[in-house]
Amino acid sequence: MTDPRTPTDEEQPPTDGGEAPTDEEQPPTDRPTVLVPLEVLEGESLPNGTPDLLANAHVVLLGYHVLPEQTATEQAREQFGETAMSKLGEFAGALEAVGATVEKRLVFTHDKQTTVDRLIYEYDCLAVLVPNSAERVESVLVAVRGTVSVDRIARLVAGLFAGTGTAVTLYHVLGEGETDADVETLLNGVRSKLVERGMDEDAVEILIEGTEAPVDAIAGHGEAHDAVIMGETNPSVTTFIFGMPAEQVAERFLGPVLVVQRERPDATDASAE
Amino acid sequence: MRPPGVIPPGMDAPDPPAAPDADPVPDADPDAVDADTGEGELERTIGLTGGLAIGIGTMIGAGIFVFPGLAAENAGPAASLSFAIGAVVALLVALPASELATAMPRSGGGYFFISRGLGTAPGAIVGLGLWLGLVFASAFYLVGLGSYAGQVFLEAGIALPVNPAVPLGVAFGVGLTALSLFGTENTASLQNGIVIVLLVILTLFLSYGGLDALGVFGAERTPERFFPPGGLLPVLQTAALVFASYLGFAQVATVAGDIKEPSRNLPLAMVASVLVVGVFYVATIFVATSAFGSARLGEFGETAMVEVAREFVGFPGAIAIVVAGLLATFSSANASILSASRAVYAVSRDDLIPSAASRLNLQYGTPHVALGLAGGPIVVLAATGQVELLAEVASFLHLVMYGLICVALIQLRREQPDWYAPSFRCPAGFAVAGAGALASFALIAFMQPASIGVGAAVMIASYGWYRYYAADVELKGDF
Repeated sequence: MTDPRTPTDEEQPPTDGGEAPTDEEQPPTDRPTVLVPLEVLEGESLPNGTPDLLANAHVVLLGYHVLPEQTATEQAREQFGETAMSKLGEFAGALEAVGATVEKRLVFTHDKQTTVDRLIYEYDCLAVLVPNSAERVESVLVAVRGTVSVDRIARLVAGLFAGTGTAVTLYHVLGEGETDADVETLLNGVRSKLVERGMDEDAVEILIEGTEAPVDAIAGHGEAHDAVIMGETNPSVTTFIFGMPAEQVAERFLGPVLVVQRERPDATDASAE
Repeated sequence: MRPPGVIPPGMDAPDPPAAPDADPVPDADPDAVDADTGEGELERTIGLTGGLAIGIGTMIGAGIFVFPGLAAENAGPAASLSFAIGAVVALLVALPASELATAMPRSGGGYFFISRGLGTAPGAIVGLGLWLGLVFASAFYLVGLGSYAGQVFLEAGIALPVNPAVPLGVAFGVGLTALSLFGTENTASLQNGIVIVLLVILTLFLSYGGLDALGVFGAERTPERFFPPGGLLPVLQTAALVFASYLGFAQVATVAGDIKEPSRNLPLAMVASVLVVGVFYVATIFVATSAFGSARLGEFGETAMVEVAREFVGFPGAIAIVVAGLLATFSSANASILSASRAVYAVSRDDLIPSAASRLNLQYGTPHVALGLAGGPIVVLAATGQVELLAEVASFLHLVMYGLICVALIQLRREQPDWYAPSFRCPAGFAVAGAGALASFALIAFMQPASIGVGAAVMIASYGWYRYYAADVELKGDF
């Protein structure tokens, strides 16, 4: 695994090893790093259920505020920085209370995406949360697209839910030229990775289906679950017009969606040399 | 918890940025802005292209679409020399300004450098002067914009009872201010698009016109005598007048806090945008004066370029230039209004004016008071319709700032305070800054007495305000 860490981040616990000084009895390995972006000043708060979902995660809690380009970010920080920081502190408290390790970042920006991308790199985040509320976290739908991110999905799912009793359903939409057998092999592979990482074999189910519209299907199935985990999609013309599938799913499903990020290219360079 | 913004020593060392485009990677500089606040960090979102678009977009409106007629009337074909002189002065200032901007990448640009390098009194004069200078500049661009909007009616064959330039300019002033108050649109990408369209139209037009003027297509046109009857004096006076075409490069420094990799992108954006517009200006005058005699150009006034294009390419050419003129003056006016409001913010942050002036409106995220303080006087000045006076006063106030930027560089290099660690160093710093300061102040001497009077009055009033309101504020070396 690459460990893209910049010298600035010496206090930040690496995803695989090390521990945040703030925390007590968590095992020192394999806390998946999850980015939780919240638009703090627009009244966005930590949705219900988020602490339960991320209790075993290393949370990068990003409070952000988007400003129109005619406004200097400095100006907003001066006026709103303190308020935003204290709100962020409250949310961090709620997460820490259930055992998550938390790092707070507050950013004033002209472009949300730039900020989110920067922090994904900076912390090598395994997933980004689309924050929606959930009443409880008892079962989770995991959409597996292909072999590409399987390792990262397994690290996230096992990291979050191993030993919690949360039920996991691995789901795949049959593509052209794929047979049930192929896909079963794929999903069974994921299952054994999860079991290797400490999940209870009985807690993992498998669901395969052929359908025209994966986004609708995922959102539809999601309704029977409390949260959805899915992969990131490369931006394309379709995603430009209709939005990223993960966002579409989040809009219809209305519950929390964890978007597993691609492996980012090594990010050590710029400041390291 | 890592307090955001604490940077380990050595992080802000002037390392040459390695990978220009791979920059979701946090580099050292973003943190440099946030040091010691504990209240959040600031995302840098403007790249080199954005910086160039700000510089070019702010400048190109005036030199090509407003001045050619006036300049040619005053200086004949030698007006191209006037524009070249302006470019040299601007470059002499752009280099020292780049060094200062990389040492102090904060919003406020020239005001920030001068108040920190030379102290509160010069800072106050420049800060309030910059605000009003931009107000004058915006009003000037608005009158230009109004002229082009009026030209649309003319081309459409609609006769208007009065010259619509001033009323239309005023209307645009009100509209743009409202837009910047409520608009959350992505103005930067709009600006980038406008600049690209402009550069394409101008390149096509100037290449065609240039080749034609050199006799490639038809009969060679006979150029008139290069120097005007008065010799060098009118050329220098014209240089002082048209210097308003170069005010935009320092706008790049006013958004220094938003620029990614400032040590590389700031100097590049400032110097390159001056060079680009300088070349376009000189070429424009060459083409314009070879199409018509200077006196004739003068009669056409602000929209002389439309007639030049009509002469070369006929009606479609005229339309293309009208559209380009609208875009260019619009983007210049818009950029200047926004810069003026940032200038208000910068002086208010330092308690030189009441802090209420920099309040943000949480709903829209815009500084409504500062925008009002910019937009109000702009509209009033645009209503006067005094193009040359507005341009010269704007240049006067900017030139004072430019000269003092150069002085600040010299001062800071001599004192070498601890906090002064620029990541770009102006080559031959003392010589360039010395020449820049002399040239800036010298250019002022060639302005009309009325402009000098108004400019001096603004400076005196600014100083008076400082003595009355902010005499106890100490800004030198304050971070």
